Amino acid sequence: MNRRTAIKQLFIVAGGIVIASSCSTDSNSASIQLNQIKLKASDELLLSNLVEAIIPETDSPGGKTMNLHLFVMKMLDDCYSEADQQAFLQGLEKAHKNLKVGNEVTYLSALPEDDVFKNILKRRTIQGYLNSEYVMKNKLVYELVPARYDGAVKIEA
Amino acid sequence: MANLNIVSEKERTYDAIVVGSGISGGWSAKELCERGLKTLVLERGRDVQHVKDYPTTNLYPWEFEHRGEIPHQMKEENPVVSRCYAFREDAAHFFVKDKEHPYIQAKPFDWIRGYQVGGKSLLWARQTQRWSDFDFEGPLRDGFAVDWPIRYADLKPWYDHVERFAGIAGDRDGLAELPDGEFLPGYPLNVVEKYFKQKMETQYPGRKVISARCAHISKVQPIHLEQGRGQCQNRTLCQRGCPFGGYFSSNASTLPWAAKTGNMTLRPDSVVHSVLYDEDKKRAIGVRVIDRNTKEEIDFFAKVIFVNAAAINTNLLLLNSKSNRFPNGIGNDSETIGKYIAFHNYSARISASYDGYLDFKTDGRNPAGGGYIPRFRNLYRQETDFLRGYAAGFSAYRSSGSDQSGYGEKLKNSLLNPQLGNWGVGSHMMGETIPKESNYVVLDDKQVDDWGTPLLKISVDYDENDKKMVKDYLDTMEEMFDYAGFTNIKRNDKWQAPGLDIHEMGGVRMGRDPKTSVLNGWNQMHDVPNVFVTDGACMTSTSTQNPSLTYMALSARSVDYAVKELKKGNI
Repeated sequence: MNRRTAIKQLFIVAGGIVIASSCSTDSNSASIQLNQIKLKASDELLLSNLVEAIIPETDSPGGKTMNLHLFVMKMLDDCYSEADQQAFLQGLEKAHKNLKVGNEVTYLSALPEDDVFKNILKRRTIQGYLNSEYVMKNKLVYELVPARYDGAVKIEA
Repeated sequence: MANLNIVSEKERTYDAIVVGSGISGGWSAKELCERGLKTLVLERGRDVQHVKDYPTTNLYPWEFEHRGEIPHQMKEENPVVSRCYAFREDAAHFFVKDKEHPYIQAKPFDWIRGYQVGGKSLLWARQTQRWSDFDFEGPLRDGFAVDWPIRYADLKPWYDHVERFAGIAGDRDGLAELPDGEFLPGYPLNVVEKYFKQKMETQYPGRKVISARCAHISKVQPIHLEQGRGQCQNRTLCQRGCPFGGYFSSNASTLPWAAKTGNMTLRPDSVVHSVLYDEDKKRAIGVRVIDRNTKEEIDFFAKVIFVNAAAINTNLLLLNSKSNRFPNGIGNDSETIGKYIAFHNYSARISASYDGYLDFKTDGRNPAGGGYIPRFRNLYRQETDFLRGYAAGFSAYRSSGSDQSGYGEKLKNSLLNPQLGNWGVGSHMMGETIPKESNYVVLDDKQVDDWGTPLLKISVDYDENDKKMVKDYLDTMEEMFDYAGFTNIKRNDKWQAPGLDIHEMGGVRMGRDPKTSVLNGWNQMHDVPNVFVTDGACMTSTSTQNPSLTYMALSARSVDYAVKELKKGNI
């Protein structure tokens, strides 16, 4: 299967879900409102595959189900300089061209250490994951009201 | 300009006016109202009611759109406030944005402000260390500024008074340089903080590491329940406003208490333009207010006026209160208002790691933040080539982290199974700066703000004394860390602009001589006996302690005096 067909097919499958949760009537644009940058539905799909590759579904939900790609997009839109945004978008464009579906991990691993696209994507995916309602309620429980402080709890060294 | 003075003068007349509702204004209001004075409290910002107006207080991390981060554009538009550690998504609504309230920086000065009912008392770091005579006698002993007109004995009963009401957690450490107070139980030092304390006691007997004293209710008392406040729940999300009233703020404590007397009228959205002076009566008679929203002008009258607008804004207000008698600002015969501005030097910190006590961790959160090292340098005698010294924070923490390399299941698994690392330790410096005539604020002669008040020009800088002190702090702490066996010691002397310490003080200083100071030993203007200034502007010197507790005590003491003088007919 060539890359284009593969993406198209995936787009149909995943696109349906995206559109269902979207306020936008334009099926070519991203499913969340972005103010500084423009992303297409195909970008969103690619990013969803990437976050799923970074945090895959196991016996607990993965990046795609948890919409970590939407968090990455939101943070990219609001929390970066234009220069960083442009560098990310160039990286995204390259990924469109060069990334074969299923090869996400290999693709990311091969990018240089200082690749802006990779670093923003990975950092924000991890941040979105660790700060998600799912993880903070079920895995690494966040306490809003600890009501205690013990400065010397003995543990196994 | 529209004029709201159509309401009869009688209806605009009170016994007392308090300008500002922050940490000192709240205390002035409480004490005045409790003594039966009909009190008008003017606040330039919007109303913020306890709990009701804390929109983020119960939000979980995932409920913040940017997980706490301030968006890029907001940072770009507000470089000054963005440098403040507490300016985050959960508390951004309590900070003044640069663009909204411009000022002129003749030299870099990060002026951090909170324009709302409660002011910065919602946002403060809640550290409450008393002054001692080592502090009050500093200027006299070391020959700078002017002599404080008060000593510790004058303020001690008022420290007691405000501590009992506010709720201060702390240990009774028995230190002459940091007097004990009316404390609730202190928060414990953790194992590594305790280890460091003991290590220092054997090697450097004069250097004490104590649990930081803080305005948190560690054990609730009837007086706190009466305020509707409860025990601190160790959330350490204080900057959002506390739904339990676990830490002290005007909003949770003094203002509702003042309101309960039936004597307080709180008027938010009231920008005080000037204090009005009557030449025949030789008294201040009231204040001119510009309504924040409508820009209408309205005068209010009272027998006594407490100025608690926050240090720099109090300077601005007094300088802008011009009359024939006081062409350079009310009470300014000494021509010192706006001068001798000082602050705390927070420009150095040091961190390290420690591989001992790996069989211990902490649990829950410590609202005190850890340890406090009172000033030891130049304490009993001058021993260095710079004046005065520094206090320091000291804390140890053991955080857990995970290997974030790689992708996929391995990464996910690693993220979900964080491992405890070594202990980290850190300290930051709180240095005394010397008030100087050359550190000043003045009114700009051209530009005005949206309410017709001249913009303030700020010219405040570090000096050689500060540079020497930073080096001494870093050298000394490094030696202490090294002795304690800490490794990977990192010194940081990235100079931050004055102001970012949010401990700006002075400009309307207390003193014995009307020729060289503005206020007497009761925080009363030498030249205008019914005007009192009890916020940070009154400070003759800064010493090293976080200043808010001292403002509270000065406010309560000053109100007590003012009301007695009123009753005697002296003012």
